[in-house]
Amino acid sequence: MRVLHLCVNGDRLEVAAPPHWTLLEVLRYKLGLTGSKQGCDKGDCGACTVLVDGKPVLACLTLAALSEGREITTIEGLMPAHRQAGGEGADPVQEAFDRCGALQCGFCQPGMMLSARALLNDNPTPSPAEIKHALSGNLCRCTGYTQIVQAVELCVAESTSKKPRSPAWAPGVNPWSRAEPASGGQD
Amino acid sequence: MAARDNHGVGSPWKDGFKVIGRALPKEDGLAKATGQAIYADDIQLPGMLHAKILRSPHAHARIVSIDTSRALALEGVHAVITGESMPIRYGVIPWTPDENALAVDKVRFIGDEVAAVAAVDEDTANEALRLIEVEYEPLHAYLDPREALERSEPQIHEGKKAGNVSKHVGLDFGPVDENLEKAEVRVEGDYVFHGSTHAPIEPHCAVAQHAADGLLTVWSSTQITHYVHRALARVLELPESRIRVIQPCLGGAFGGKSDPFALEFCVAKLAMITGRPVKMLWTREEVFYAHRGRHPMQMHYVTGADRDGRVQAVDAKILIDGGSYSSFGLVTTYYSGQLLTGPYDFPAYRFDSTRVFTNKPPCGPKRGHGSVQPRFAFEVQFDQLAEKVGVDPIEIRRRNFQGDYTETVNGQRITSNGFLACLDQVEEASDWKKRRGKLPRGRGLGVAGSMYISGTNYAVYPNKMPQAGVQLKVDRSGMVMVFTGGNDIGQGSNSVVRYIVAEELGLRPEDVRVKAADTDLCPVDLGAYSSRVTFMVGNATIDACRKLRKKITQAVAQEWEIPQARVFMGLGEVFDLEDREKLISTREAFHLAEEHHDTLGSTGSYNTPTLGGDYRGGTIGASPAYSFTAHVVEATVDEETGRITVENCWIAHDCGRALNPMLVAGQMEGSAYMGLAEALLEDHRVNRFGLHAGPSLLDYRLPTAVDTPELHALIVESLDPEGPYGAKEAGEGPLHPSIPAISNAVFDAVGIRLTELPFTPGKVLKALEEQKAEKQASPGNPSEQPIGEKA
Amino acid sequence: MLRLPKFEMAEPDTLDEAVSLLAKHGDRAMPIAGGTDLVPNMKHELFTPELVVSLAGIAELHGIEQAGDGSLILGAMTPLDELARDERVLRGAPALAQAASLVAGPQLRRMGTLGGNVMLDTRCQWYNQTHFWRQSLGYCLKKDGTECHVVAGGRKCVAAASNDSAPALMSLGATLSFQGPDGTREVPIDDLWKSDGIYNKKVSGEILTHARIPAPGPGHRGAYGKLRDRGSIDFPLLGVAVRLDLGSDDVVTDADLVVVALQARPVRVRKVAETFRGLEIQGPAFREALDEVCTLASKQCRPLANIPGDHEYRHAMVPVYTRRTFLAACEQGGPVHHV
Repeated sequence: MRVLHLCVNGDRLEVAAPPHWTLLEVLRYKLGLTGSKQGCDKGDCGACTVLVDGKPVLACLTLAALSEGREITTIEGLMPAHRQAGGEGADPVQEAFDRCGALQCGFCQPGMMLSARALLNDNPTPSPAEIKHALSGNLCRCTGYTQIVQAVELCVAESTSKKPRSPAWAPGVNPWSRAEPASGGQD
Repeated sequence: MAARDNHGVGSPWKDGFKVIGRALPKEDGLAKATGQAIYADDIQLPGMLHAKILRSPHAHARIVSIDTSRALALEGVHAVITGESMPIRYGVIPWTPDENALAVDKVRFIGDEVAAVAAVDEDTANEALRLIEVEYEPLHAYLDPREALERSEPQIHEGKKAGNVSKHVGLDFGPVDENLEKAEVRVEGDYVFHGSTHAPIEPHCAVAQHAADGLLTVWSSTQITHYVHRALARVLELPESRIRVIQPCLGGAFGGKSDPFALEFCVAKLAMITGRPVKMLWTREEVFYAHRGRHPMQMHYVTGADRDGRVQAVDAKILIDGGSYSSFGLVTTYYSGQLLTGPYDFPAYRFDSTRVFTNKPPCGPKRGHGSVQPRFAFEVQFDQLAEKVGVDPIEIRRRNFQGDYTETVNGQRITSNGFLACLDQVEEASDWKKRRGKLPRGRGLGVAGSMYISGTNYAVYPNKMPQAGVQLKVDRSGMVMVFTGGNDIGQGSNSVVRYIVAEELGLRPEDVRVKAADTDLCPVDLGAYSSRVTFMVGNATIDACRKLRKKITQAVAQEWEIPQARVFMGLGEVFDLEDREKLISTREAFHLAEEHHDTLGSTGSYNTPTLGGDYRGGTIGASPAYSFTAHVVEATVDEETGRITVENCWIAHDCGRALNPMLVAGQMEGSAYMGLAEALLEDHRVNRFGLHAGPSLLDYRLPTAVDTPELHALIVESLDPEGPYGAKEAGEGPLHPSIPAISNAVFDAVGIRLTELPFTPGKVLKALEEQKAEKQASPGNPSEQPIGEKA
Repeated sequence: MLRLPKFEMAEPDTLDEAVSLLAKHGDRAMPIAGGTDLVPNMKHELFTPELVVSLAGIAELHGIEQAGDGSLILGAMTPLDELARDERVLRGAPALAQAASLVAGPQLRRMGTLGGNVMLDTRCQWYNQTHFWRQSLGYCLKKDGTECHVVAGGRKCVAAASNDSAPALMSLGATLSFQGPDGTREVPIDDLWKSDGIYNKKVSGEILTHARIPAPGPGHRGAYGKLRDRGSIDFPLLGVAVRLDLGSDDVVTDADLVVVALQARPVRVRKVAETFRGLEIQGPAFREALDEVCTLASKQCRPLANIPGDHEYRHAMVPVYTRRTFLAACEQGGPVHHV
C-alpha cells in the first residue's frame, strides 16, 4: 500500500492504494468518482477515458501509482470547472450532448465527452471527419455516433455563431436551438 | 382503456400538442452527462463483499464432485455456494425452466456457472475460485446444430422428448404447395445468419442486501425487473413480498439483460448467508458467456410469384442454433416464422423452424428478436425475384404491399401501415430513380423493408392483469411524481413518460419527475422487451393522467362555476377556454383539487386487446400495432480488397407518431448502426474447442465512429389508433432492413449475391472470383435476362 | 473488473538505476513504458512480474532530436501520437510517422510509446486471452502449455509480430540503442529479431533507450499501409512499410519492403531493391517492376492462422497493400488505410 498524491478535478488528494490498482479503480472505488466507467477491462472501449494533463487517456490501463503528481480531470470535473470560469449550467459539451439526444444509456459518454472536450480545447473548429477520428477510441453501442457527432458540431457552431447542420429528421431547421420554438397555438 | 384520440377535448394547439412532438432533452440527460447518474457498479454499501463466479472449462461435462473446503478456509472468504445451494430451475419463459443459478450435475458450455464466492475484495474472491476443486467427466460436445439435430445421445438436456431439439414449430397458411406449383417464377435459396451479441458497454452487475427483518433488496442491471423479482422468489423460495428489485441507471441492454442471470441469484443468496451486502460485477469476458444474443440460423426459402412479381407463396425451413439453454427460445422459434407476414401480402405461407441445443453460450433475444434473420433471407430473395422478373426492387415491394387495416395470412391484425411512405422517402432521399442500376461498377444502392411488433400480446406468464401500470402522485409544489415499472434502458422511456404527463396535465416537462423500475415503489410493468415500453407504458400514463385531469378540472370548474369541459390544463396554467383571462397556475389548481377531493393521485394501466390467430401459437407475434421500415443503403465495393464500405444509410421508419423526433431518430440510427455492424464486422462464434473465439471488445469488433456511415433518419408518421397519441415502436424495427439492404446494394454495385453473413472481404473476393469464372465460362448467360417486363 | 495480479512498483529516475533494478530482479521484474500492452497482458496473467519498473521518470528516454548529420534520434519513451505529428519525423521518416498514426486508437497512441511498440510482445488468438480461457484450452506453447494450436502438432511458436513501428523502422535502416548491465550497445534493428514467437528479440535485461534513423537522402520516399477490420483500435492484420530512394530524375537508387503481422518477426521481402533499381517511378518499367515486387511479396509472405482473421485473405492482401503502399510512396502520400 502506498499513499498517492493525486490532483483530481483541481483537488489535491492523498489516497492509499496497492501498486496493482489502476487509476480507474482508485477513482471509482477509493475516491467514489464513479462517473468514469468500465466497459471492457483492458483498454478496448474507451469508457474509462479521463484527461491526464489535459489529454484523454485510458484510466483502466494507467497504473494509479504512475499518476502521482498529474492533473486528472474526470467527468465530474467538467461542470465545476465551467462554473469556476464563470459559466452557467454544465460544460457546453455536456449541454450539447444532452440537447442533441446523444446520451442514450449514457455509459460510454463520460469518456466520449472527455475526448470531445480535449479535442475542442486543442482545435475549436474541427471538421466532422476530425471529430470522428478524435472519438474513434470511444465505443458507443446505442447511438450509431450520429447524435454524438451532431453534439460536437453543435458546440463548434455555437462557439463560432454559425448555424449547425440540420439532421435528416428536421431538414432546414435547428431542432436543438435553445430558443423556445414558435408557438403552434393561440398563446 | 387506452387513449385513442390526440389530446382530448378542446385542445387549443394547432398541432394539438405543446410537449409531444418536440425535440426535448431527456429526463436523465444531464445527470448522465455530468457523471451523476448511478449505475449498478456505482453502488457501494457499507461492509459490502465482492463475489465472483467459477465457470466451466468444459463445453459439456458431468460434474462428478465439487470440493469448496479450501476456498472457504481462505482468509477473507465469507461464503461459497454451488448448485446445491439453489437447485430450483428457472427460465424467463415459464414453460421451459432449464437453467440453474449454478450448475447442478452438468455443465453445458465453456463459461457455464459452477460455484460462487463472496469475499472481502475481488482479489480474494478470485484467489478462492482457484481453490475450488471440481471433478468433471467430459461428454461429447455439440458445436454444430446439424449434428445436434441428427444425434440424440448424449442429450444436452436430459429428459427432453426429442433428442436435442429445443423447440419445433411448423405452421402453414393457405395453399402453399399449390401456389408454388402454379407460380410463374420461383426463387429458391439458402441463407446463413451467423451469431452476434448485444455487447452493451456496461457489463452486467448486481448488488444485494439482506436486511435483518428478512427483506431482500437486489439492484441489478436488468431490463426486466418484474421477471427478476418473480425468478428470485421462485429460486430462493421467498415470498415475493420479501423481495425488492431495483434497476439503477442501465448502461445498455438491447435484449442482453432480459433474462434472470446467475449473478442476481448468487448475490442474493450470498447476502442472505453472510448478512452483508454483496456485489458481483461481470468481466467483459463473462458478458460474452452470458450472451443471449442473436441465434445463428440456416434458412432455406422458396418464393413463388406471378410474372409481375406478385408473391403467391413463401415456404421456409429454418434450423436455429439455440446454444445451451432455452432462454426465450420458444418465442424465437415462433418469431422466426410469425413475423415475416408483412409489409407484403402473402397469399400462402409456410414455415418449419427447429431450434436445437448446442454446447455454446445460450442465444436469446437481441434487438429484432427472431425476425432479423428471416428478414435478411427474405429481403435478399425478394431482390432476386425482382431481378428475375425485371422489376425495380422498390417497385416490387410497392406492388406486394399488404395495405393498412388488414389481416396477415397468419391472422395478425394490422392497423396503421406507413410502409409505402417509407419507400417513397428512401427512394427520394437516395435519388434512387436516377442512380440505382446506373452507378459506376463498384458502387450501388440496395433497398429492403420490414415490419416489427410494438409490444406483444403474449405476456410471458399467463395472467389477465394489465401489462403496464403507472401511478401518479401530485405534489403541492406543482410537481408530479410518476411511478412506473417500465425499464428505461437508455431508449428514453422515462423521458417519454415525462413528456406525456407534461402534455396531459399542462405542466412544464421539468415539473414531472419519474421513478421507474423499483418493485417496492412502482406498479408492475413487464419490462423493456418486444418494443413495448413506449407503447404500453405510454398508454398507461395517458390513462392515469386523464383520470387525474378529470378530478382537477372538476374542482376548478366547480370553483369557477363553469362547465368542466371549458377548463383546460396547458403548460403551467389552467384556464377557461372561453375566457383566457381567467386562469390560475397548475400549482394552484392542484391545491384546489386537493381541497375538493382528497390527497391527489391516480393510477392507469394498459392491456392489449385480444389478438392473434386462432391456432396454437397464434398469439405469438400478435401485437397491438406494427411498425414498418424501409432502408436504402449506398455501398461501395473495393474489388481488389473485397471490402464493402457503407457510405450512406437512409432509414425511413413508420413510428406512428414521433413523441420526440430526436429520440425516435436516435433509436433509428442506433438500430441501423447495430444491423450494419453485425453484417460487416461482428461475429459471435466458438472455435473448434467450443471456446468463444474472442470474448473481448478487441476481438469482437464493434464499429467505431470512423466505421459508421452517414445515417439519415427519415420519420414517417401513420398515427396508429392503438398507440399513445398514435405512436408505435422505433427501437427494433429499423435494425432489420440494414442487413439485406447491404447485400442488395452490393449486388447493384458488382453483381454478386451475398447470402451468408457476415459479409467479410474474404467472402466478397471469393464471390467476385466465382463471378469472373462464370462469365468466362458462359459469356452470354441467358439467365441474366429478366423474364418479365423490363425495369 | 478484470484485476491486475499483485506486484511491487519501482520508479527510478535514472537509466542506471532502472538497469540495475532489472538486473537484480532478473525474470521477476519487467519494465513498463506506456503500459498499453503490458497492463492487458498482466490482466491476462501472461506476465506476472513481482516488480514493475517504470521508465516514465527517466528524462533521457524522452524526446525527439535531430543530430547534426540529419539523423533522427527518437527517445524510446516518445508517445506514438507525438511521433505521428512531429514535423521532423513526417519529413525524414514518413513511413514511421504514418505507422505511428495508425497504431490502435487515439488514447492508446497518447499513452503508448515508440519503445513499447518496438518491444511489443507477439500476438496470437490462442495466447492473448484471459487465464480462464487459456486454462479451458489447456494453454498453448507460448505460455504454460506444450502445444501450438496454430499449426497442428506445431513445435515452434508462431505468434505474430504485430508492431506497426517495427517494419517502418526496418525500412528506414534504424539502429536501436540498448542499455544493460554491461553498458550500452547499438543494434541494427534487422538484427533484433529472431523467428521465435515466444520471444522474438535477441535482447533481454536491457532497456531500449532510443532509435536512430539515418538522415534521409533528398529523394527519400516512404509510406506505410495497414490492413485491419476497423478504422481504429485494431492491431494490424497486415502491415507494409516501404522505402524508395530516388536519384535525380526520379530514378530508384534503392528500395525496401518490410511486412509485419505474418509470423513471429517482421519480414523483409528479398530482391526488391534489385527489381526497382534504375527505374524511373513514372515510367512503365516501374509499373512492371512493381508487379514483380508484388509477386515476390506474395511468395515470400505467408501469414499463419495466428492472429484473428482469415489468414488466406491476409495473404491475398499482401500484393494489394504492397502495390498501394509503393504507389502512395511515389506520390509522397499515404498512409494506405481504408478510412
